[in-house]
Parts: sequence; structure tokens; C-alpha cells
Amino acid sequence: MAVAAKPLPHAHTHATEGPDPRESLMFDPRPRSLMNAWAMEAMHETSWKFWAVAAFLALIVLVFLVGAWAWMIMEGLGLAGVNRPAFWGVFLVNTVFWIGISHAGTFISAILRVLKVEFRRPFTRAAELMTAFGLIQAGFSILMHMGRVWLSYWLLPYPNQRQLWPNFHSPLTWDFLAITTYLLSSLMYLYLPLIPDLAMARDRSSGWRKRLYRILALGFRGTEGEWEHLRKAMTIFAFAIIPVMFSVHTIVSWDFAMATRPGWSSTIFGPYFVIGALHSGMAAVVVVLFFVRRMKHMKYFVRPEHFDALGKLMLVISMAWAYFFFNDYIVQWYGGDKWTRMLLEYHENGPLGWMWMLMLICNVAVPWLLLWNRRVRRTPWLMAIIGILINVGMWLERYVIVPISLTINRMPFTWRQYVPGIEIPLGIGTLALFILLYMLASRLIPLVPIWEVQEGQMVHSLERVGKTYVPVVKELE
Amino acid sequence: MSEKTFLALFSDVNPAAEAIAQLREMGMKDEQMQVISGIPFTAPILGRPHPRTNVPRMAMGGALVGFLLAMFFAIGTPNLYPVYVGGQPLIPVPPSVIATFELTMLGMLLATFLGVFLDSRFPSYRPMEYVPAISDGKIGVLFRCTEEESSRWMDALQKLGAESVSPVEAVQL
Repeated sequence: MAVAAKPLPHAHTHATEGPDPRESLMFDPRPRSLMNAWAMEAMHETSWKFWAVAAFLALIVLVFLVGAWAWMIMEGLGLAGVNRPAFWGVFLVNTVFWIGISHAGTFISAILRVLKVEFRRPFTRAAELMTAFGLIQAGFSILMHMGRVWLSYWLLPYPNQRQLWPNFHSPLTWDFLAITTYLLSSLMYLYLPLIPDLAMARDRSSGWRKRLYRILALGFRGTEGEWEHLRKAMTIFAFAIIPVMFSVHTIVSWDFAMATRPGWSSTIFGPYFVIGALHSGMAAVVVVLFFVRRMKHMKYFVRPEHFDALGKLMLVISMAWAYFFFNDYIVQWYGGDKWTRMLLEYHENGPLGWMWMLMLICNVAVPWLLLWNRRVRRTPWLMAIIGILINVGMWLERYVIVPISLTINRMPFTWRQYVPGIEIPLGIGTLALFILLYMLASRLIPLVPIWEVQEGQMVHSLERVGKTYVPVVKELE
Repeated sequence: MSEKTFLALFSDVNPAAEAIAQLREMGMKDEQMQVISGIPFTAPILGRPHPRTNVPRMAMGGALVGFLLAMFFAIGTPNLYPVYVGGQPLIPVPPSVIATFELTMLGMLLATFLGVFLDSRFPSYRPMEYVPAISDGKIGVLFRCTEEESSRWMDALQKLGAESVSPVEAVQL
């Protein structure tokens, strides 16, 4: 078994049918030193365009996020569009949206790791980074929604002056616990497999980067013990973070489903929200991978095969989302409750009915019509567009669930359409911050887990069966 | 007699594993050797004793601490200052399950993370025997022996396919 996986000597010439195995990253091994050099180059070489975009995003963050938030803190929550009956608006739409985006990292990294799905290897870190940065945006959105953000420490589990503790049986405390658990777990899960790559970067850097990587690599050398502890921990994380991931979005859904409101009181909201989170998360990973691929040498690591595999997953998840959506819809529609019927009518034919329709087009029609096609799935720019459309659809879904559903209640005299105010610039600010953080991270940490790619290439080989060669994956553990 | 540390570098795992077996046959103890590599190799692949890890035990301990903390929050705190609301139970079981689950998992994962640090003695910024070629995919076999014995081991390792065998100093990583 070679450390640097051997190139395929005769496989292609013997194989008479099917695609060239060298199209697959796992069957196209390169020396580790070369892959390391590419990863380092991708971090080091930055064009002026990159910094121009980063500066523009920083400006947006400064004006739309920092500035607008400071203004809202000074003037009060009245700058936002929330008012009776829709006290929950775009801030919570964004919270649910960003938590959804954050599910991709865990799904790709943990679930595919547990299931030993090999195509995951080059982009687990890109997805894990999305989880971390997505959760940060979700946290910001919740703090914005609170209005009096300086009192956010009231959520912390300690008693107040009257020795009264927070209510741990309240859905809002569940949210706090679940999101905190998920954020901390995701950051740790991002960091652990990063340590060997930070050590690699330490070995090839100088100046401030050397100092930074030396601190972050913790003195990792790759001893048997270090690998064993790391591997054991990653296995525990991969298994344990999956139920945490499911719990987070289920608990977010319970914020709605626990209320006996038309449109919200649904026993299926938990899995419906989880599948929605995966839908938007997977689509976001594809968009991110499209941009990662544009970085120097990244075309070697992120290939059409990866978009193809993700496209298949997206199609399946889209079908599952449609199933849960229809399940939720039909039960409410058939139930015949007067207020629920009015709400559904408002969803479809109200002044914002176009959102409901566009949601279905983006979440169902677009993936179903396009993703069955292998050529579409293997075209990165097309996949990126589909990914963006799905995310538009998923954002609209949350908008339909939160402020639009709140518009129709059992007190018609309170009905009033929600119109967002300062939520719009703040939302744009969080999006800009997410992209900016991602861009800066791409200059500081290797976006591709090189050691995992090399490990994958080591265990893949072609074996002759009859007149052709078939891929074989060895089990090292 | 003073002992020195030597590093044999291999670019392939098979000769490295073979060399480890040969060194053992020639009388070198497992404790005198250490393997460093850029990707994880299991103990059976290298023919080495299984490294002991406390990470799973730490994880279980963390889960227990998280569980007990959750019990305190979900069951203990309502009793510290009982507030009865509308005939609802003071300690409802289903909502308590949620806080218990989250804190148990948080305890377990934090302890797992901490376990890696404790078991690997991270962070460690003192000088250590290492060469950057390891992160380029080479497999290094570190071994300690006296200078008198060194030529015997070095010859043996070179015959067994080592790319290089040389004394190695602890360096600042």
C-alpha cells in the first residue's frame, strides 16, 4: 500500500466502456507535496479583485450591519416593520434561514463520514465552515430580533436578583441551549480535522503565518497517539453531532409548532424544518463550491463528479421536502378549520401569493426539471444557479411561514400586512458578513482537507474483473 | 552511554511496517520506537501496539456531567423557587428531556474535544523531533539508541527501504 497513491498504469486502456476513472479525484492521485503546495498557493496568492470585493463587503457590513444595528439600538425596535399581528418578521426568517444553511456542514461532514461516502472528502471543510459562519449569522439575527440586545445575558442559565432561574421548560430556552450546543460542537468539529492541515501549513510558512499556524497546530506532529486520539474524537463527533443537528432545527420548528396558531400547529413541523434546512444547506454548499473551484488549483480538488453527486442528493432532498410540504399542507387543508382555510387562501392568493408560488417553483420545479440531467449536474455554473434559486425558495418558505402566516389569525380586526423596515439592510449586512468571513477564512485555512484527500486516494484502486477494471475501496480502519 | 534519536524516512507504508517488524526482531523494544506520519495509519497496519486513548472515557464522563447539570437546571432550579402556573406541573417531563438531551450532548462533545488535548498533551510548543517531510506524506520511524549501536540500526533500516536514516534533533516546530 503506497503512501502516495500510485497512478493508474493500464486501467484506462483496458476499460472499454464508461467514463475515464481519472475524472475522479480518488483515481487521479498526485504527490502529497504537490497537493500541499496547491493548498498553500490558494491561500497565499490573492488578486486585487479579491481584496476589492472584500473591501466592498466590509463596507456593506460596516454600513448595513454595524451602522443600521447601532441606529436600531439607539432608536428602538420601532425601526423594524414588526407590529401587531406580525411580531416576528425578517429577523426570525433570517435566523431560521441561517440555521438551515448551517445544516449542510454537519450533513456532508458527519453523515457522509459515518456512512463512509467517499466523494465527500475534498469539500467537508468548505461545508463545515458554512456551518460555523451560518450559525454566527443566525445568532446575530436572534440578537437583532431581541431589540434590547444589551439584555441578552438574561438567557444565560443563572438566577436573577430574586433568585429566579430562567425557565428551562420554555421553547426559547431550548433554542438557546440547542443553538449554543450546535455552534460549539460545530466549531470543535471544524477544528479537529483541521489540526493536521494547520501543521502542514506551519511547515510551509514563514513570518506571521508561521506564528499563527504554530499556535493553532498545537504542536501536532502526526504521532500514532495523536492520530488515534484525533480519529476517536472525530468518530464520536461524527455520530454525536447528527442528533444535535436534527434537534436544532426541530427545536426551531417547535418555536412555531408549539403555538396553537393556524398554519403553525403541526406535528410534522420538526422533520419538515429539518429537511428544509438540508435543502437550503446542500444548495448553499454547491454555490460555495462553485466559487472555491475558481481559486487557484482548486479545479483539481473540486470536480464535476462532486457537483454530480451533490446534485443527486439535492434532487432526493427536494423530493423529500415536497413530500413533507404536501403532507403538512393536505392535513391542514382537509381539516377544514375556518381560520386555517383562510390562511391557506391568503398564502396562495393574497397580495404575497407570488412568494408562495415562487417558493414552489424554486424548491420543487427547478430541481425536478433540471437535476435529473447528468449534464446539468456536472456543469458547475448551472448547479450554482440552481443552488441560488433553491436558497431563494427556502428563504421565501420561511417568509411564508413566519410573517405571512402571522398576518391571518383568529382576530380579523388585527389583520395587517407586515412590511419590513430596517430588517432589509440588516439582512443584507449579515449576508455580506457571511461572505466576507468565508473569503477571509479561505486565505487563512486550507479549504481542502489535504490529508483526508490523500487518505482517500490511498484506499481507492482499480481491480480487474473480467475484461474491465472496477473501482475498489479498501477499509483501513 | 548517551542515547540519541534517529529518524528513518519511508515513502511507502509497506517497507515502513516491514522495517518496524525487523527492528523488533533485532531486539528493539516498541517503547524505543515511534511512528510519525502525514495521514493516519492504524496500529495493525504498522504492526505496532495499539495506542491507548482516553477520549471515549472522557466523552462518557462529559456526558455524565452534562446530564447532571441538566438535571439541576430542569429539575433542581424550579424547586429552588417554585412558581406554579395555571395548574401546570412544576417539573414537566417532556420539556425536561430537551434540556437534558442538549446539555448531555454538549458535555460529551466538550469533553471529547478536551480529551484530545489532554491525551495528546496539546498544546505543546517545546522543541520536538520532526521534519516537514512528514506532512508531505513520508512516514517517519523515530527510534532511540546509543551511538555505538546506531550504525547497526541505520544499516538495517537502509536495507529495509528507508529513504534516509539520520540523527534528528528536537527543533522548534
